[in-house]
Amino acid sequence: MSEIGFLFAGYAVIWVILGTYFVFVGRRQSALRRELERLERDLQAQA
Amino acid sequence: MTESYPDLGRDQAPAAAVPVGGDVTAAPAPGGRALWIDILGLASVALILAALYAALVVAPTEAVMGDVQRIFYFHMPSAWVALGPSFTVVFICSIMYLAKRDLRFDRIAGASAEIGVMFTTITLLTGPLWARPIWGAYWTWDPRLTTTLVLWFIYVAYLMLRSSTPEGHKRARLAAVFGIVGWIDVPIVFMSIRWWRTIHPTLITGQGMQMDSTMQAVLMFSLGAFTVLYVYLLIVRVRQLDMGSRIDRMRQQLLMR
Repeated sequence: MSEIGFLFAGYAVIWVILGTYFVFVGRRQSALRRELERLERDLQAQA
Repeated sequence: MTESYPDLGRDQAPAAAVPVGGDVTAAPAPGGRALWIDILGLASVALILAALYAALVVAPTEAVMGDVQRIFYFHMPSAWVALGPSFTVVFICSIMYLAKRDLRFDRIAGASAEIGVMFTTITLLTGPLWARPIWGAYWTWDPRLTTTLVLWFIYVAYLMLRSSTPEGHKRARLAAVFGIVGWIDVPIVFMSIRWWRTIHPTLITGQGMQMDSTMQAVLMFSLGAFTVLYVYLLIVRVRQLDMGSRIDRMRQQLLMR
């Protein structure tokens, strides 16, 4: 692999890892918000 | 990573604004959207993109290593964020937890360790891609590389310990002790290039930073961008863990009615 190839691979690794982590955090946020809204509805229904 | 408190007891109630059995719906939502966090997120992405431009376009080509040296502008800041803020926050929050018995410190430590492992992974993967054309090998058992790999294993084990133990003060105590003992490797990683013979580049020597001024400016900018990104990710993850804790208390409240 050429020097530019290693440079490209290095930055590709960085973006893939950062991107994957951002997706994980985003999905987790959505799941938590849905669960929180559901529980709030259930608690209000029981009140 | 659902949070539960199976071992709730007199001295084991989660440290939170709302006691177990209290009206959790009246408490402020820790995971709710906040404009300033969104702005910080956008700023961190913009800074990282600007750092990428600076690394690939603004920084001059290194005379000996050539273009592959540009990996350095993201490799070194990743290592900085992992060893500097991330694992040091784990260390400090572990001490704070043991002193105050407040689970919020445990959650901050957990979130920071997770981010630290992510940045250490980036460091460990980009390093070999930079090393291969320069050293002729992806990996050598050099002190800096070896101690960094050991550090990665320590904090992966820390995260495994957290995920395999039910949440509560028992897990927080175990994790805090692990977080304090594990941090011992951080100064060893930092000092490894001074204590032992190594082929890893030494950036800062007794004569200061051995770099061209433009390269130094690009590096400093990149360090700042990565630090802002770390702060953003830490805030978001801690709020998510707080939110998970609140969800758990709401579930308990539903069960008790």
